[in-house]
Amino acid sequence: MAQKFTATLTAGLWKRIPPFRLVLGLCPSLAVTMSAENGMGMGLATAFVLILSNGAISSLRNIIPSKVRIASYIVIIATLVSIVEILMKAYFFPLSEQLGIYIPLIVVNCIVLGRAEGFASKNPPFISMVDGLSVGTGYAISLTLIGSVREILGAGSWFGMPVFGETFEPMAFLVSAPGAFVTIGTLLALQNLFSRWRGEKFIQG
Amino acid sequence: MSEITRMVVVLSLIAGFCSAALTAANIQLGPLVDKQTDLYVRGPALERLFGKPAGEVLGNKVIIHLAEQDIPVFFTRAEQAVSTLAVEAIGRGGFGGDLKIMVGIDLASERMIGMEVVSHSETPGLGARIEEITFRRQWQGLSTGDPIALTKDGGTIDAISGASTTSGAAVRGTNEALVFVRDHRDEILKSISELQKDS
Repeated sequence: MAQKFTATLTAGLWKRIPPFRLVLGLCPSLAVTMSAENGMGMGLATAFVLILSNGAISSLRNIIPSKVRIASYIVIIATLVSIVEILMKAYFFPLSEQLGIYIPLIVVNCIVLGRAEGFASKNPPFISMVDGLSVGTGYAISLTLIGSVREILGAGSWFGMPVFGETFEPMAFLVSAPGAFVTIGTLLALQNLFSRWRGEKFIQG
Repeated sequence: MSEITRMVVVLSLIAGFCSAALTAANIQLGPLVDKQTDLYVRGPALERLFGKPAGEVLGNKVIIHLAEQDIPVFFTRAEQAVSTLAVEAIGRGGFGGDLKIMVGIDLASERMIGMEVVSHSETPGLGARIEEITFRRQWQGLSTGDPIALTKDGGTIDAISGASTTSGAAVRGTNEALVFVRDHRDEILKSISELQKDS
């Protein structure tokens, strides 16, 4: 039990880290990581939804008939996302304006549904919530990282604070859409190279 | 219990529970959301209109309930008496949908102090130029007694070139606000004095 707990807790941070290792949930990773702050806000919102949806779905896993399980999961996830949206509007209004449509779109984020189907529907509530916490934290870290790279190189600031002097000429293309693909691709390649160097077995391709 | 009934019952129970949770969240946080919307969406427009920080005027808000819609009205005071009103109005028929504008009215001199755009979805470079001061400044000092009109309709407002639809929507919204204030002036002042008593 204890071993499974640690394994689940750390899996989301490296072995299963989204979006790099799972390569799921790429749409928000590409769209909202213009700045570190946006990436972190999106990541934390997703993590919050993931923990609660995993917990709820796992506690209901023996009650929900398997034929309507996807419909039930979606209803639960959509409710949690709407609550997150209301909370964000009430407490972090500027952030919710910036993230816009991507907050409601967490409902169809493959990571949330994927963890519900792949983990929470087969495991007891506590360990499922640990899984949600670990995968959610991994996602938040990844998005913050992508956002930081794009913001530092593309706008010359980090969390809104300028990091380089006045003379720095930012690579503005990194904060536009193509920059997102380039950044995620590069980070994915670096991670795979590192895994290969360490001789780990779970490299894709 | 047959399989079908079980599916229906479980799904309805989940849906019912979820709607209850959402309703609770909406009721609990609704006022907070409204406050934040006022601060970030209407705040900048009010700041420019009244020339005061948004925090000072946001509390001065009454909502007039009409049959079709609720109209938010903001106000400022000069020596106890209500001096200026800012009435929110919908400019129907913009190019990319309805405009939401705020019309400032000086009650003593019965003239407009300006027009501000709260939100719009017009074309950048054309209709979106409605936000520019050169267009909005034409509202300053106009009498509230008569409806305003574009120059092509014999009025005084020069339309933004290439965006007469947007300009027309702003003018229509303003006229709606003027009619509203003329018809409901007593009601507005009554709500404001009631607000004063409460606080």
